[in-house]
Order: sequence, then structure tokens, then C-alpha cells
Amino acid sequence: MTTYYGLYGQKVQYLASDPTDVQVGQVWYNSTSATLKVNQLSTVNAWASGGALGTGRYALSGTGTQTAALGFGGYTGGGIYKNNTELYDGSTWTNSPATLTTARGYIGQAGNQTATLAFGGSTSPAPYGVTNVESFNGTTWTSSPALPAARSSCGSCGTQTAALNFAGFNGPAVYSNVTESWNGSAWTAGGNMNTSRVFLGGAGTNSAALGFGGYLTPAGHTSSSESYNGTSWTSTPSLNTARSRLAGFGATNTAAIAAGGTAAPGNTNSGATELYNGTSWTTNPSSMATARRFVAGNGTQTAGLVFGGHPPASGTTATEEWSGIVAQTKTVTVT
Amino acid sequence: MAYKYCVAECWGKGFITHDDASKYQVSGFPGNVWQIPANNQDANLWVNKVAGSFKTKAEAQAIVDVEVTAAQAAWDALPDEQKQQPFNKQRPTAIVLE
Repeated sequence: MTTYYGLYGQKVQYLASDPTDVQVGQVWYNSTSATLKVNQLSTVNAWASGGALGTGRYALSGTGTQTAALGFGGYTGGGIYKNNTELYDGSTWTNSPATLTTARGYIGQAGNQTATLAFGGSTSPAPYGVTNVESFNGTTWTSSPALPAARSSCGSCGTQTAALNFAGFNGPAVYSNVTESWNGSAWTAGGNMNTSRVFLGGAGTNSAALGFGGYLTPAGHTSSSESYNGTSWTSTPSLNTARSRLAGFGATNTAAIAAGGTAAPGNTNSGATELYNGTSWTTNPSSMATARRFVAGNGTQTAGLVFGGHPPASGTTATEEWSGIVAQTKTVTVT
Repeated sequence: MAYKYCVAECWGKGFITHDDASKYQVSGFPGNVWQIPANNQDANLWVNKVAGSFKTKAEAQAIVDVEVTAAQAAWDALPDEQKQQPFNKQRPTAIVLE
């Protein structure tokens, strides 16, 4: 007779209650409930509500993970840009005493909660872009070498020492396709995107990036998606829903999420969520609970975070947590 | 699809869980209005969990309309210069509940 021990070289644990520190793949028998249980990876692909931001705003930026995120900058309408920095621990946002030196919105973002680079963005006297770059070490923001040109509303991705900034505004109402790469000490020009656009989503690294969606002039919202290999951009399959002002995140250019934004008709706010697997975009059956634009996003295709956005006109505090694949304990039915 | 509506204040983490979201779609609208599928027992239980107050579609629409009208008035009152800024160009649009 085939036994579990014979197959896997281990015995099934016989326990009175479920263990507290469960590992993926762990199997045990719960003698109290008389059930055989396994902890396995399951596909969830759903949004859950997270802790509210301390300050509602939109056009803010985010880096990090679902359980260790950084939210910074933003806009609350009426020409008021924010320098607030908040830290998320997986359930609660906490105000950091550190604030951006220059309050601004729609800033390029790269890195994680304790090592973030913030580049470009919009300010009250310069809504179409600034060259400012700031670096966050977990406690303070310091100035870093400036962008070669004033930029705002770009796509961005990468780490604090290897970031990418692409497309966006490059002057008053100038839609750009320019790419700039950061190596930790200097910005250098990369290959131009095939389509100039603003308000797009970005994911990946500075040598394997994905830029998707955005707004074209005069065409409006686009579904166009492009992939970057460190040198040049190549067109990839389009989003299912053309949209701009969306959140984009993902660790690579073959595992990204597009969420929220605005779409036709009538610039309707969207909560639609799409997943990219390197070959195609798939619309997730369920959407974000709160449809919104100018929403920040960070994380990976398996564990992401979105927060802030518009409406209301002063910006929302709403946070939602994306779970793609999670470890879940399930009861095994033995026949 | 037919929907039901309620008003509830989102308290943050745990308001909508992944388990909730994997069973049915909860969609939020201005004024703390939430839309759930009709004839869904799990969704009805969620309304109880969040201490939601059921509204008819007309009542929910009226709440949303008040919020949208206020947002439109605020946008209309902006100086033209601000209306032309990248983040302000879109006047809030009407929301029609399904």
C-alpha cells in the first residue's frame, strides 16, 4: 500500500489544533475536528479594503510592498500640492515626520519603503513638470541629482538605485515619449517609447519595464502597451480597456497589474483590474470596490496595494489590497 | 444583473475582505453608497457585518447625485487657470446607478 511517508519521506502530523506557524505545503491531521488539512497556494485575485490614508489626496505616489508601503506627495485640488509622507504596515498608515522638500503630485516613483526615489512631478507654479529628485532612506528625504528636463505624469518603475522614468509631460502640454534611466548616481537617456503619452501605468525594472495605458493627444485614452528591454521599447498586446490616470505595478514586465483610472465614455472612473502575463492582458472578474483615477499603486501581481485617488475632489483616503496568489489552509477530503 | 444598495461608512481594513470580494462584487459610490448583487445571501450578510442601511435604488441615486452635484459646483467655481491644469481638466461626471 502506498503511504504518505513512502511518497514524501515524512509522516503526517497528528495535532489537537491547527499549528500557528504554518508553511506552504504543510499537511497535518486535526484530531479535534477529525479533518486532514493542507496549507497550499490558492489563486484569489481579489481586492480587500485596507487601512485609510491619514490624508486624503490624489495624484500621489507609492512604493514598496502590500505590507510595507510608502505613500508620498499628491494633490488635494485647488492648486494645493502635498509633501506628506505616510508609511503602511499592512493594516495602518502612519504619518512620517519626514516630508518631501518640494510639495508636488504625480511624481515618478521607484524603490521600497526604506529606499525610495521620487523624481519629477507637478507643483503649483509648474504643473507640467519639475526636475526635482529626492531620495528617502526610511526616515528622511534628501536631494539627489536632478532629471535632465522637467517632467511630470510619467510612467516609472525600478529601485532607488536603478530607476526608469518614461513618457509624461515634458513642458506645457507637451506629450513626451522620452525615457530616462537612473543608475544610482546619474540619469542617462534611454530608448524612446513608440507612442508619446501622459498619465500611464508602469511596472517592472529599469532593464525590463512595461508601460501601459495613458492619454494621447488628441486621441484620448489609450490601451497601448509597450515593453522595454533596457535599450528599446516594443509594442505588446493592448489593455482590454483603454484608460488613463491608472495605477500600475508589478515586479517584472511579464507580471503586471493595471487598476483603476478613467475610461470612455465621458471619462468615467474605473475600478477595472487587468493582469499581464507577458503574453496578454486579462480582465479580472472582480474590480476595485472604489472606482477612481489618479490612484497610487505598488507591489506585485501576487500582493499589491492601491490608495488615494479622485473622487472626491479633495482626494480619497481609501486603500485596497490586491491578493493574487495566497497561502490558504484547506481541508482535504479523503475518499 | 440586478443590484441592491446600502449606505455604510468604510472603516478601512476588514470592511471588505478578500473572502467577501471573491464571492461577490462590492462597488462603492460617492456618499458611502455601496452596490451589491441582489439575491445574494453572502452579500446580504456583508451589509449586516458593516452595519449598512439598505436603500432603494432611487434613494441611493439621490445620495450620489448630491455628492456629484457638489463636486461639479466645486469644479465650476475653479478659476479657468486651474481648470486647465493637468489634474483638474475633467469636470466630475454624473453617475447613474444600474
